[in-house]
Amino acid sequence: MVSTTSTRHAPAEANPGPLRPPWSARAFIAAGLLGAAVAVTWLTFWWIGLSPASLAAGLGDTARLLARMWPPDLPGAGDVARMIAETLLIAVAGTGLAVLASVPLAFTAARTHRGPRWLRSAARVVVVLTRAVPTLAFAILFVRIFGLGPLAGALAVAVHSVGMIAKMLADAVEEADPVPAEAARACGAREAQVAVSTVLPRVFPALTAIVLYRLDINLRTSAVLGVVGAGGIGVALQTALGSLNYHRAAGIICVIVVLVLLLELLSVAIRRRTRAGRSAGDTTGTAALPAGRAPHDVGWDRGRALRVGGAVATGVVFLVSLWSLNPDPGRLSGAWTNLSAVLTGMWPPAFSGELLMAVLESLLMALGAAAAGAACGLVLALLTAVNTTPWRPLSAVVRVLLVVVRGIPDLVYALLFVAALGLGPFAGFLALWISCTALAAKFFADSLEQLDPLPHEALTAAGARRWQAFAAGIWPQFVPSFTGNGLFVADLAMRESVVLGIAGAGGVGYLMQESIATLRYDTTAAIVIAIAVVVYAIETLARIARRHLL
Amino acid sequence: MIGAPVLRLSEVGKGFHGTTVLDDVSLDVPQGQFVALVGPSGAGKSTLLRLVNGMYVPDRGTVRTLGENPAACSRSRLRALRARVGFVFQQFGLVGRLSALENVLMGSLATLRLPRYGVMSYPRALRVRAVEHLDRVGLADQRFQRCDTLSGGQQQRVAVARTLLQSPELILADEPVASLDPAASVLVLEILKRISAEDGISVVCSLHQIEFALATADRVVALRGGRLVLDEPAAGLTADRLRAIYDAAGARDG
Ligand SMILES: Nc1ncnc2c1ncn2[C@@H]1O[C@H](COP(=O)(O)OP(=O)(O)OP(=O)(O)O)[C@@H](O)[C@H]1O
Ligand SMILES: [Mg+2]
Repeated sequence: MVSTTSTRHAPAEANPGPLRPPWSARAFIAAGLLGAAVAVTWLTFWWIGLSPASLAAGLGDTARLLARMWPPDLPGAGDVARMIAETLLIAVAGTGLAVLASVPLAFTAARTHRGPRWLRSAARVVVVLTRAVPTLAFAILFVRIFGLGPLAGALAVAVHSVGMIAKMLADAVEEADPVPAEAARACGAREAQVAVSTVLPRVFPALTAIVLYRLDINLRTSAVLGVVGAGGIGVALQTALGSLNYHRAAGIICVIVVLVLLLELLSVAIRRRTRAGRSAGDTTGTAALPAGRAPHDVGWDRGRALRVGGAVATGVVFLVSLWSLNPDPGRLSGAWTNLSAVLTGMWPPAFSGELLMAVLESLLMALGAAAAGAACGLVLALLTAVNTTPWRPLSAVVRVLLVVVRGIPDLVYALLFVAALGLGPFAGFLALWISCTALAAKFFADSLEQLDPLPHEALTAAGARRWQAFAAGIWPQFVPSFTGNGLFVADLAMRESVVLGIAGAGGVGYLMQESIATLRYDTTAAIVIAIAVVVYAIETLARIARRHLL
Repeated sequence: MIGAPVLRLSEVGKGFHGTTVLDDVSLDVPQGQFVALVGPSGAGKSTLLRLVNGMYVPDRGTVRTLGENPAACSRSRLRALRARVGFVFQQFGLVGRLSALENVLMGSLATLRLPRYGVMSYPRALRVRAVEHLDRVGLADQRFQRCDTLSGGQQQRVAVARTLLQSPELILADEPVASLDPAASVLVLEILKRISAEDGISVVCSLHQIEFALATADRVVALRGGRLVLDEPAAGLTADRLRAIYDAAGARDG
């Protein structure tokens, strides 16, 4: 009979050889990361006193606060329009300034740079430092130097963005084909000429994408800069919360949420358009030269008119946004003396036990929230990804919910929880947990959908159950991106947890704000150094883990 | 050798969104036979194979696989049926990050209740058998190598070993050698042929290369535009007659 087939042939060898796979670094790293995540989460829960009872009490307090905020009280339409315009202009001005500074910085920091080594290293230090310190930390400092208002906010946005734009641009520069540059050098071109005429055109699409991405982030950030007095709609939120006018605060939060969601829709639309344009626009370059045009004349066609028009419009918007910051010379000269006072006051950095404990608290809040957020985000991602969702309509609902939750800035959650639960890391942890969950769910769902569907299909065809096919056909493929994205969330959470302290939600942010208010810049410097070290350490750990888990 | 056919299609029709992909196809496959399924692209070969293990449901006619009707099975019966039918894909369907041995072990999931992750989560007896099957396809020494570091031909042999661990009574292979070079193709087809002969397993294998079909199969079945246009023992066939099926399709489409 057919069913005896497996016994028909004798075993090929009496001794089958090793049946246990050799130990690999991968297994150790995976087990280590998992153990570390569990231990850190437990430690965080213990530190902030999280228990089912305290969580239930906290959520009860939050619900009561939300009830007190109802109904929202919107400011007048004119006020809303003015605050929104100021918020947008801060983001545009900051991003524009950052781009201007990033291009030379990126070329200097790229591995392909041919100048002196120390110059490249210096550029890299600038990139790492500006990236590690959050926008809001810069905003506090700049409010001190330039005074209250949108100028400080725009500069803070600019300085922090420089780090990210320059890093991503430097990566693009390093990846660009080196042969055209060699050819230009062989013609006797100077290094600056080589960069402008061979490398810049090649990285231009990447630069556009990076700038749009950063502008998107900056628009969200500029909505909360006002909390530290750096202009935009956040000023009104801080005023309302400070005067315990919860109805007004709710109204402003609604405006912020709607603004952020509209921006999200806009950025999705732009991304879709640029993608469609890139695939359809390939033929424009091959069009024959129109008759009657002088051979040395590029001439005008629709594409060129759109490009030039877009560039001019972007430039005009940028100039308007700069002008709106009101950088009059009298203020700037006053800023100079403030700046030199800040810089000289920073040396030598003053470390203290209290400071290190606060940094540790920020770190614990961040890692605990990232681990808990990754766990919850994984569940939500499995519900939303098209290849794992048990039920399509549920997937759509969760997806919309996640966009809304992600749209609200962390600082708004933190302000709410602080108002409901009082000062301390508990409020900060809850705020971070929510945002980490939403962020992780999005990253995980996106990467789940990019996995190869064939192993799952093959196992289903072999009679495996649903969970078996998932565990064997999808999960092993997903492990690297799960770990990579999880660590990335931890990285973002660390930066954010510093910021939340500014709202009094635990961690080192409060200390930082206080040190600047009391002119103890040496403490500020120590905090900035400590944060940069921690963020750089997490990034390095993430890079190593990703390399070994691939 | 005499008995109920392993596979019986009676007047099967299948379409998608109003188009007809398979039209009135009838076919019996007895135990131990190696059937090559040929025909131009879009003729319906993959669709036919997917009807056999219940991945698609026919619009008309009936499919009987190992005495069961996959379209009428409950979920658990369908799983049990699929466990007895091996399926080999053109793109292998292996998890590249995992070892060859772990990929082979996945073939036994239908006999286990719980999800598994990692070689050591499978019982020792299964690991021994998995290594035997890897040895049959000539890859016992590569058992702990990651699949994405194996060549295409080696990966397809791992996929065959995974199918063997199911102890299948029927193997369906959908263009198993379409992404392999000629030497690797010959090796994979020879392994399938040997398994079919030694274990008495029926194989239905769709192929694009006429030469391979004639050299490997006991019987050649040709589809064109969803209809069965030829069904003969491979021994009496010439390459020219088979080529005419492809040419006719090309002439009609052009
Ligand atoms: N799931 C599906 N949904 C819609 N149409 C399908 C589906 N599966 C197959 N088809 C259509 O059925 C027709 C036959 O497809 P099939 O894959 O069976 O052909 P094939 O003979 O395997 O071709 P190839 O040699 O290219 O693999 C094609 O026109 C295809 O577009
Ligand atoms: Mg096919």
